[in-house]
Amino acid sequence: MNVTKVFGLFAAVFAIAYTIAFEWHWELFSYHPRTGEFGWGQQASKGGPVMHWYGAIATGFVAALAVSAAALPFTKTRSLPLWLGWAVPLACILVWGWLLRGFFLR
Amino acid sequence: MTTFLLIIHGLMAVALLGGLTHQAFAVLWPARATGGFTSAYRAVSAARFTNANITFYVMTFVLGAVIYPPYRIAVRTWIERARLWHISGLFEYKEQALAIGLAMLPFFWLVWRNPKDESMASARKWTTAILCVIVWYSFIAGHIVNNVRGLFGQ
Repeated sequence: MNVTKVFGLFAAVFAIAYTIAFEWHWELFSYHPRTGEFGWGQQASKGGPVMHWYGAIATGFVAALAVSAAALPFTKTRSLPLWLGWAVPLACILVWGWLLRGFFLR
Repeated sequence: MTTFLLIIHGLMAVALLGGLTHQAFAVLWPARATGGFTSAYRAVSAARFTNANITFYVMTFVLGAVIYPPYRIAVRTWIERARLWHISGLFEYKEQALAIGLAMLPFFWLVWRNPKDESMASARKWTTAILCVIVWYSFIAGHIVNNVRGLFGQ
C-alpha cells in the first residue's frame, strides 16, 4: 500500500474535522495556560483563559489519520482526486473567514 | 525566555517566507529567460525548496505553539479588554489557517516529489500558492499583533 496516495485526503479530512471540532466544541482536550492543566474535551474556565486550539488540532489529526487509514485499501485500485488536497483546505480557510467575521464587523 | 523564542519564531518565519515565496514565484510565474532581477528570482529550482520549506513550517509552527500560552494570558486578554476585536480576529484567523496549512504539508511534499509530473501541475501550483498566502498573512498578522501589544509589554 502506498501511503502517499492518501495525503490529499488527509489534508481534506483534517481541514473539515478541525473546523467542525472548533465550531462544535469537539476538541479532544483543553489547556488552562494559567495553571498548566490539561483536561479532556471542552473545559470551562478555571479562573483564567482556556485554550482549545491544541485539542482541535488533535481532533483533526485523529480524524484525518482514521479516515486516511480506512481509505488506504481502496487506493490500490483507484486514485483519489488531487483537488482534495488543496480545494477542501482552501474552502475551509474561506469558511473560517465567514465564521470569524464577527471580529471584524463589530 | 518567551521573548527569545518569539524572536527565533520570527526569524524562522522570515526564512520560511523567503523559501516559499521563491518556490511560489518559480511555479506560478516561471522565468522564460535569465535576465534581470525578477527573472533570476523566478529562475530557481523550485523543487529544491520543498524539504526546507516543510522543515521551517513545522519548526515555526511548533515554536508558535510553545509561545501561544503566554500570548493567551498576557496579550490576548489585554487586546480583548481594549476591545480591539479586529486585532484579535487577525490572530484567530492566523491560527486557523496555519493549522489547516500544517496538514497540507504531506500533500505539498507529494506534489513536489516529481516536479516534472504534469498530472500534478495544477495541484502543485494551488498548494504552493495557498501555503504561500497563509504564511504571508500569518507573518503580517503576527507582526501587527506584536506591534499592538508585544509580550510583556506594559
